[in-house]
Amino acid sequence: MKNLIFVLLTFFAISLVTNPLYASSSENSVQTQKVAKTNEHVAQSISVMFGNFYKSTGIYAFLNPRDGATNALGEPLSKFAQSWGRVIMILITFLLFYLAIAKGFEPLLLLPIAFGGLLANIPLADIIGHHGFIGTLFDAGIKNELFPLIIFMGVGAMTDFGPLIANPKTALLGAAAQFGIFGSLVGAVALSQYTTLFDFTLKQASAISIIGGADGPTSIYVASKLSPDLMGAIAVAAYSYMALVPIIQPPIMRLFTSKEERQIKMVQLRDVSKLEKLMFPLTVLMLSILILPESTPLIGALTFGNFARVSGVVDRLSGTMQNALINIVTIFLGLGVGSKLAAEKFLVADTLGILALGLIAFAIGTAAGVLMAKVMNKISKDPINPLIGSAGVSAVPMAARVSNKVGMEEDPTNMLLMHAMGPNVAGVIGSAVAAGVLLSIFK
Amino acid sequence: METNLIVEGLKFMVLGMTMVYLFLMLMILVMKIISTIVNKYFPQKKIAPVSIKRAQSTECKTGNNDAIVAVIIASIQQFRKQKQ
Repeated sequence: MKNLIFVLLTFFAISLVTNPLYASSSENSVQTQKVAKTNEHVAQSISVMFGNFYKSTGIYAFLNPRDGATNALGEPLSKFAQSWGRVIMILITFLLFYLAIAKGFEPLLLLPIAFGGLLANIPLADIIGHHGFIGTLFDAGIKNELFPLIIFMGVGAMTDFGPLIANPKTALLGAAAQFGIFGSLVGAVALSQYTTLFDFTLKQASAISIIGGADGPTSIYVASKLSPDLMGAIAVAAYSYMALVPIIQPPIMRLFTSKEERQIKMVQLRDVSKLEKLMFPLTVLMLSILILPESTPLIGALTFGNFARVSGVVDRLSGTMQNALINIVTIFLGLGVGSKLAAEKFLVADTLGILALGLIAFAIGTAAGVLMAKVMNKISKDPINPLIGSAGVSAVPMAARVSNKVGMEEDPTNMLLMHAMGPNVAGVIGSAVAAGVLLSIFK
Repeated sequence: METNLIVEGLKFMVLGMTMVYLFLMLMILVMKIISTIVNKYFPQKKIAPVSIKRAQSTECKTGNNDAIVAVIIASIQQFRKQKQ
């Protein structure tokens, strides 16, 4: 009896142990049948699967750069650009975030540009490729120069040309400040002629020097036509320096003016009739058609936006241009330009040269504007405060505010803002003309 | 012989600055001509009284001044009540 119970218990135990084994083996056979059916998934051990997954992670891509790798656009990538270059670029985008958020440097553009740069440096994701979403944005609006023109439309719709129409001769200050563009152009070619550090061609030098126009959309427009590879650095330099206008300009302005000159009060501006405001964009457009058709895309967009504004009958359209449209396009433009912040494009010696030349261009432009204003003050019968000359670099309306601020430091009752808006908006037209000249040379 | 880049750059500068000045000076000239024409034949002073007259005439036509005054008084009272 005892034996019988023992045998039964043993049998029971064995069956308990083996049952799961049977079950699992039958599951296995089902799985292999499935694999055989789809013929895609090869059975792998779990360690191999984890190993393969690890190879598709960003950590692996950062740590193990490959030889002969290409980026999403099929261009070759160095080992450095795949590993440390990307890490450095990601840190640079963090720096740009800091500047945009904590320091308030043109956050509307620097933030999207920096985020686009962050996305451009993600390995393996191919976001900047022709099928990635930033690559698509780039192809849709920057490669063909569409987005900068739409921005210009919005700028036109936001700008009041009244101060310029009331005092037209201040437009000469906007012309003088463009000297920064051509001065830095000579500087750029001199650098490549006499140093081995940089080797800019005339095309590249022209694209870089347009930073001196202090006009973001114009810079991007010219860069995309003349040297698309340098666009990332050019856009970042242009927008950073525009944000730095309140820091760069005042010392130069004080250097070239005396205390008495800074205290000069200007004659109150006259009222401008609506008809004059309507005629102005048409006049500018007609002149650019006759003299410089190459710059009519920029000036045409600007004057269209302004014409819609002053006409007073299409408030919905001009409202859209100065709000919704310019905001949407700013997002697209920022992200698209950010794609040029990929390590292989940005981490080159040229970038340092571009940043330095951009700063020089800004300084020369400011100085030329102030000196021109001093000359005009001597000749003109109405007094002209030389401080408004610095507003001739575009950077609307930041540069005009700086003129106002420096003027008020000397005499708190001296309001220069409206007087400075004249050269300021003339500077926008002036840099568009300069851009047109440069583009026409290389046509 | 290699072209001297600096000379090229200086040529660009002369051409560019000439064009920028020429363009903006022409612009100033045309703007002055336009402003003299506009101020001579379409002076602004004439436009201003017309607009005021129009505003007055619409007021007279509506003739709802009592109603408007009533609404204003009511809203002021409402505002004061809310303040308290």
